[in-house]
Amino acid sequence: MLSKVFATIAVAITGSILLYGVSDFPAFGDPHSPANAGVPGSESVSLYFIEESYKDTKVPNLVTSVLADYRGYDTMFETVVIFAAGMAIFAILRVVGNKEEEVSREPVENSFTNGDHSRIIVGTTVRIVVPVIQLFALYVVAHGHHSPGGGFQGGVILGASFIIIALAENLNAALRRLSEQNYVRLAVVGIFIYALFGVMAQVLGRNFLDYGVLAPLLFTDGPEMARSHSMLGVEVGVAFTVTAIMFAIYANLSSRGQLEKGL
Amino acid sequence: MVDQIPALLVLAPLFGALLVALIGHRDHRVCFPIALASLSVTLIGAIAAAQHVFTNGPMDYFVGGWEKPLGIGIHLRIDALNALLLIAIATVAVLVSFFSIRRIGEKNAEKTHYFYILFLLLCLGLFGITIAGDAFNLFVLVEVSSLTSYGLIAMGSSRRGTYAAFNYLLMGTVGASFYLLGVGYLYLTTGSLNMQEIHAILGTNPEIAESKAVTIAFIFILVGIWIKMAFFPLYGWLPNAYSYCPSSTACFLAPLMTKVSVYVMIRVMISVFGLEWVFVSLGWSNLIVVLAVIAILAGSVLALAQREIKKMLCYLIVAEVGYMVGGAWLADEELWGLTGSLYHILADAAMTLCLFLAAGIFVKSFGARDINDLDGMFKKAPWVMAAFAIGALSMIGVPPTCGFFSKFYLIRGGIDAGHWEFVAALLISSLVNAVLFFRIFEIAFFGNKPAEGHDHGHDDHEAEEITIVRNEAPPAWSGLFPLLTSAVIIVLIGIFNGPIVALIRTFFEELPTVTLLHSTLTLLP
Repeated sequence: MLSKVFATIAVAITGSILLYGVSDFPAFGDPHSPANAGVPGSESVSLYFIEESYKDTKVPNLVTSVLADYRGYDTMFETVVIFAAGMAIFAILRVVGNKEEEVSREPVENSFTNGDHSRIIVGTTVRIVVPVIQLFALYVVAHGHHSPGGGFQGGVILGASFIIIALAENLNAALRRLSEQNYVRLAVVGIFIYALFGVMAQVLGRNFLDYGVLAPLLFTDGPEMARSHSMLGVEVGVAFTVTAIMFAIYANLSSRGQLEKGL
Repeated sequence: MVDQIPALLVLAPLFGALLVALIGHRDHRVCFPIALASLSVTLIGAIAAAQHVFTNGPMDYFVGGWEKPLGIGIHLRIDALNALLLIAIATVAVLVSFFSIRRIGEKNAEKTHYFYILFLLLCLGLFGITIAGDAFNLFVLVEVSSLTSYGLIAMGSSRRGTYAAFNYLLMGTVGASFYLLGVGYLYLTTGSLNMQEIHAILGTNPEIAESKAVTIAFIFILVGIWIKMAFFPLYGWLPNAYSYCPSSTACFLAPLMTKVSVYVMIRVMISVFGLEWVFVSLGWSNLIVVLAVIAILAGSVLALAQREIKKMLCYLIVAEVGYMVGGAWLADEELWGLTGSLYHILADAAMTLCLFLAAGIFVKSFGARDINDLDGMFKKAPWVMAAFAIGALSMIGVPPTCGFFSKFYLIRGGIDAGHWEFVAALLISSLVNAVLFFRIFEIAFFGNKPAEGHDHGHDDHEAEEITIVRNEAPPAWSGLFPLLTSAVIIVLIGIFNGPIVALIRTFFEELPTVTLLHSTLTLLP
């Protein structure tokens, strides 16, 4: 009880301090606020992005060009954050060695449609839906340049398709499709793809993640299209890692690190 | 080639971690060579970067080549403020990787590769934080280092470690969110995330610099970092997290996590808000020095109450954080306090490394967790105890160890600034440390007195925690080598304090604000 009182007081103080600063904020939607138009005397970053990003990168979706190119270094480490989260969860939960018996990943029967009737409905639905989900996920990854989407969103959707299989049937059914060894590999390869785009630029004598210089390697006729293609490349890398770690976290949490049965 | 070093510092551990993740599970023996190789690359890189910085001036690195206008891309920066810290991080990482060879292999051997993956990613995070020149990028790398450290702390077999890691996770998340909120407020008012750019905007637009939103941004950033560094009232997560985690984890986290957070605080004070704004416009330095004094005294008293060696060292860290925060906020004209803080970051990293390595060896080889278990340790393990003594003397502040000189510079700053309570707190803390460590020396040298002897038992430990081997094996070279090296480093940092401080102070010469600060401060009564 006392701790709740303290917590309430702490939250109230924090909230009131935050609110106190609100009076200094620029008006909501103000086109001339510092974040939108910069501060007099210094060049505005936002205006630069709005005016120049298409010229620089030939990517219509401004968010993608900021995320994957201008601030690509941040995005790479966001992907590393996800990878690190996955590794931390394996390190804590995964039970390795002293397993009673090797679990066979062979399909027992067609357990999707066998058994009670509710499973038939769920199983059939999942069978129909999963390919569509995966196709949509690939679309989200590939279309991140032009519409909302990209590696993180597509990766989550793709990871969810495996989780649905695990929920509808059992964990082994999903692990047959994406085994432990393979999801770790997939996660590593994802970050490796991202870092490779950066290191290749270094090899060609420019700074890390300077995609423009990759033009000859990507068979494009200018640094702008090279940036556009490289962004697709790194988004694919992000999607790999996110897919793998999403599913891996589910698999480890639902089976308490045993990677058997699951929920 | 030299200009690519900032990227190299984060890429080498990253590729190391990826490689371990790919092949480490097949044969755990490949993990250590991979880790050592990638960390050695970072150590060489850090030394080369420092040499470059001190001969040619700061290194700016624009990721993706997005240089102009400043702030559209990510800016990495190595200058006199962080060049030495980079070497310290790399050195500690290399030494701890040696220490981890056998420690991890013995228990939970099948998880060795996870340890190395998280360890390398943590190094990556710390390097990234240190070289970040962008306020948001710093947050991303704080996330990398925090997540990996939660994992590393929870990895041990003790259930208390898992609980401590969860506690740390909650506190750390609050700290990181506060930092992010502060950065959000700053972006809202200045429209930039680049540290240099924010600094320039605040310097040229007084109406923005004096707005409430910027002050609140600073408060949130500061409190967020304080939680991360375990500054006194916010230290609750630290003692359990660092004393119940595996030894090699403690040996890496204890010397570096809090120190890197102190560095971040100083970086934010100098490079984002500017010393003039922080000391003159805000004018809170007196208040914060008093908080630091409380931190020092509380940390020392709490350390005195501990019987477990590692717990005691953890509370000493709380006191040492008070040294550094207090020193950074002394606001004396010659900036000796800030110099002392920056020097103490290096000194404390070496001392904490040495003491935690020794404590790890005590637990591992002799099963000694409590102070009373150190009975006759000088005879049983003379080398370990000698190194422990050097670390302890440095904590107390005996010349020629580095602890003496950092106290010397801090006290000089305290006297210049007229903060006598800070000077007194430093001396009291030295005295308490002397009492603490001479109690240990007495037990280790002369043995326990039978009266207070073996009645304490291990009742307060859960049964599962006593996983230690009781067969008093002589400590392995993999433990002794980093321990003795760290003891030598303590003495070296102490002997070469003059050149090190001169290097640190080259940074202040580049600061335009310092002259401003002097003129404004002298106007004050």
